[in-house]
Amino acid sequence: MSDSSASIPRASVWERLPERLRPRERELRGRGDLRRIESTLLALAFVLLAIAVVNDVVLSTHVAYRITADLRTYRRLTGHETYHNISVEQDLVHHTSRDVLCGNTAPGPPGALPQICLILTGPVRHGERASHGGFYLPPYTRDKRISRYGCFGSAVREELCAAAIPPGALHAPVPGADG
Amino acid sequence: MPAGRVERVGGSRWSIPNSQPAQPLSAWMRALAGVCVLVLLAATLEVVLDGALGHAPLIPRSPAVSRWLVGIGERLGYRVFLIALLSFTAAYGGLLALARRLPARWVIALVLALNLIVCAGPILFSTDVFSYIAYARMGLLHGINPYLHGPHTIKSDAIYTYVGPDWLRTATAYGPVYTLLFSYPLVPLGLKGALWAMKLEALLASAATLALTWRCARQRGIDPVPALLAVGANPLYVLYALGGAHNDLVMNAFMMGAVTLTLAGRDAPAAISVVAGALVKTVAAALLPFMLLARRRTATIWGVLGAIALAAVVTIPIFGVRGLDIIAALNRDAKLVSTDSFATEIAHLFGKPGVFPIDHDLLKLALVAIVAHLLWRTWRGYDWVAASGWTLLAIAVTSTWLLAWYTLWSLPLAVVTRDRRLLIATLGVQVLFIAHQTSPLFSVVSK
Repeated sequence: MSDSSASIPRASVWERLPERLRPRERELRGRGDLRRIESTLLALAFVLLAIAVVNDVVLSTHVAYRITADLRTYRRLTGHETYHNISVEQDLVHHTSRDVLCGNTAPGPPGALPQICLILTGPVRHGERASHGGFYLPPYTRDKRISRYGCFGSAVREELCAAAIPPGALHAPVPGADG
Repeated sequence: MPAGRVERVGGSRWSIPNSQPAQPLSAWMRALAGVCVLVLLAATLEVVLDGALGHAPLIPRSPAVSRWLVGIGERLGYRVFLIALLSFTAAYGGLLALARRLPARWVIALVLALNLIVCAGPILFSTDVFSYIAYARMGLLHGINPYLHGPHTIKSDAIYTYVGPDWLRTATAYGPVYTLLFSYPLVPLGLKGALWAMKLEALLASAATLALTWRCARQRGIDPVPALLAVGANPLYVLYALGGAHNDLVMNAFMMGAVTLTLAGRDAPAAISVVAGALVKTVAAALLPFMLLARRRTATIWGVLGAIALAAVVTIPIFGVRGLDIIAALNRDAKLVSTDSFATEIAHLFGKPGVFPIDHDLLKLALVAIVAHLLWRTWRGYDWVAASGWTLLAIAVTSTWLLAWYTLWSLPLAVVTRDRRLLIATLGVQVLFIAHQTSPLFSVVSK
């Protein structure tokens, strides 16, 4: 190995430092304590990451299982057995299993018609979940209290709706989801 | 001479064909290796041929560059992809276990085949390559500084529809060396031409990284065949980094160039190579402090200063100071959060919905502590290449924005160091990353 360039600063400068602070070209072969500590910390970190990964995979699996049940419930209660574009909003703030599913009141492009939304809660039983309430939304509108109308079931008690029912708009409670 | 391998003919640092394993494969090992090779090739072909059908949940919208492969596969779904990825990973693990006994020619042929198959196919799993082209077209065709504006400023351009929606308003985070040398020259080739050129660039950068990894391993007395296999047949390297034509491969080539040059005692060119890598993707700058501490040469400092000065003279008139503002790019990236990051997974483990600003601070603190420990150890004689690798791995693990190809940064360094813990840790992190992708296998939402 050619080594034409100069060291900075010269070796003599480093030699003024106490031995424990001086730079070394190679590590000394010690008792291996440092290596043992590092390896232990690495193993612990790996175990933590592995547990976190497994936990996340299990969580995702449960969420997907729940959403499958949500979709099945929504289609049965609304009678829209062939709907594919149903939006699912999870409770990411409080991490509960309360989901809100919205879809068109009649066949059409996604979100282009008034939306009927159902609130689903509780455990999955026989492949479905319970719905005790819901509300309506105008076309192409984000789910906010100010836009919701026609609340029924638990949505009335929770005062989720703030908008007036538009003239002639469908606003009937969904049988089986009206609390 | 590398451990565990004999030379039939005295070879140079680059010599390949005549190195033979000291212990040949037994009959059952040969059969196992053959099966593993077939699985790797089959899994890669499956992903490429299915991906060639075009837009799918895992395949971004793209100009038709692989139409000639259409008709053989079916549209790529999560389940098929994950089975292919897991099979690929298992076969890779099997081959790694046998690596010391594998003939060099086998391994080189396998890595070459995997690289070529992926390069011939569609863009996989990421829209990043379209952002690279968009930034270049912004600068050359529209006169817009890509360091100040995002691709939303070129809505009329053909590339616009292919850029990922999350990045439309984001100015480029890539360095001016990448922008000027690796993306601007491709603009005159047109959209499809530029896309093919990007794929070719990724292939050449991969070839350079692998060749330099081979050379470094030999220079350090490490068997180059397992080193080549560990990098070149790695599932995330082949399917994600090469499949997406990511510029991380260009950065890796510069990093391995720096290591090679340092081992040859050429400190100034080595420093220039690190700076060039950092001006492709900032994270390569992680090598510099360790190189400086370990080498303690004026040539390294002059190399760094010279390269930065040259970059400033060339790029500031074109892009302004933002082109060299590495800190701004790092700060912006540090705020991003991905669901695949370990930080997010740990937050979920503790019942939190995601990472909060305090978590960003804690992660930065952890990273600083790790880097400080590694700097001290390098000062006291620890291998600077390994320390750089640990730092790159720590950056990936503590980042709240983790993508598959980030876990590859430390891999070429890991295979040329004698601290085997780095390779084990890098592969361990990759296994966890892959495991995290598998949830759709257990829980497909039936639409």
